[in-house]
Amino acid sequence: MSTNLVDIYVSEVGRRLPGKTRSDIQAEIRSILQDMLEERSQKSGKPIDEELTLEVLKAYGSPEKVAATYIGERYLIGPRLYPVFMLVLRIVLIVIGVLAAIGLGIAVYQTTLTPLNAFETILRAIASFVASAVTVLGNVVLIFAILEWALFRAGEKIEVVGLPKEKEWDPRSLAKLSPTNQVKLGDTIAEIVGCFAAIVIFNFYPQIIGFTPSLNGVFGSGNWAVGFGSVTFTPLLSQAFFYYIPYLTAVWGLTILLDILLLRMGHWTLMTRIGLIGLKIVNILIAALMLSGPSILAITIQSLTSTIGDAQAATTLMTMLNGAVHLALWLSIVGSSIEIIRSISRLVTNNLPHQVAVKS
Amino acid sequence: MLHDTNTLDILCNIQYTAINGEHMTNESFENVILELRRGVIVLAVLSSLNQEQYGYSLIKSLDGNGLEIDQGTLYPLLRRLEGQGLLQSAWRVETDRPRRYYVLSDEGRQLLPRLKEEWAGIVSMMKKIL
Repeated sequence: MSTNLVDIYVSEVGRRLPGKTRSDIQAEIRSILQDMLEERSQKSGKPIDEELTLEVLKAYGSPEKVAATYIGERYLIGPRLYPVFMLVLRIVLIVIGVLAAIGLGIAVYQTTLTPLNAFETILRAIASFVASAVTVLGNVVLIFAILEWALFRAGEKIEVVGLPKEKEWDPRSLAKLSPTNQVKLGDTIAEIVGCFAAIVIFNFYPQIIGFTPSLNGVFGSGNWAVGFGSVTFTPLLSQAFFYYIPYLTAVWGLTILLDILLLRMGHWTLMTRIGLIGLKIVNILIAALMLSGPSILAITIQSLTSTIGDAQAATTLMTMLNGAVHLALWLSIVGSSIEIIRSISRLVTNNLPHQVAVKS
Repeated sequence: MLHDTNTLDILCNIQYTAINGEHMTNESFENVILELRRGVIVLAVLSSLNQEQYGYSLIKSLDGNGLEIDQGTLYPLLRRLEGQGLLQSAWRVETDRPRRYYVLSDEGRQLLPRLKEEWAGIVSMMKKIL
């Protein structure tokens, strides 16, 4: 009976340990418990029975506690990332909240309100806000957990050896750590989240980029509970746009890789600056191709006229939409160019004086 | 009567605060002692492992010298020190069942005199400060 209890105890501890070290730690705990049992039995002159076993196990502590002492502290999102995680989460939740409010506004505008469907509309808006908030929360946690894992592994390599390394820290390297060369944690993580969201949305859920002009149709027909299946959906972006998606995905993916690298290093280097310049050049090329190629909007004057019912308004709206797209693409080109110029100037100002200083 | 009750209340309050205050001081005291001991455990363990010992015998011998170490602290610490290369261990069957024996590794042996020197330095420094 007593051996049995020790067996169960040891396997309960093992269940909470990582597979690599499990059997070794289990064997050690078993051996220690037997030592304790023998010693206590000799001292008290009592045989090793259930009572003594219970006493020893009680002294050794609960399996959860014992296993925890071997594992140490581990975080899904650790104290270094937690403030940024909360910041990103707040921003993202505010954005979703604003979008939900806009959606509610559109639904209210398009529906002839009666007390009953007003209630339904609001309930629906709240439900959709909660649903997207939960999804986004999940994705943000996932991204941060991956970041934490990457940072933890990087930190582990540095901290395993407690004694200082032979190659000592050089205060002159501080010159390279000027504020302009430091990686901005918040910006970088926001960019990772943005790129990740873009990859997921454009590759897996392209159907959500569009709008539903006749939400009132759903409410009117009374089958809103069925879901969005019955809603007329107008895609916003054309086939021509989706042709660029593989290239854009590559850019977003490389941007995430570069950002993770930057987070691990904490400051910009020659290679990461060149990497960023390369990505920005590709950005400019894609934006230029979009400007010169066929329209990336799936909406035409005809489709707008049939939706709105007013040809004049449709033409005006279409001109505005096209203008907005052109403006956005030009802004992206200008923004990328500024980034390239800034990167080059920082490469020059941060690297050259430092080398001169070392030589003198 | 009312006057008496009030006096009693005040007295109780004073006593409560006194007991509570005492309790807090004791807790802080225990915490500081724990912190102090935590710092010396590694050195005590390394010094005791010039000759090989198994976990339970080590905990008993340290206890015999007045250093009480929680089992949940010692055994994981032994594994960590082994992981850092300061200790080495081997399973050996003695009196019909296996025990894990720990002993200083070559690296640990090289490090120990330096650690002892450091400790002597800390002691003389603290004597000056205290």
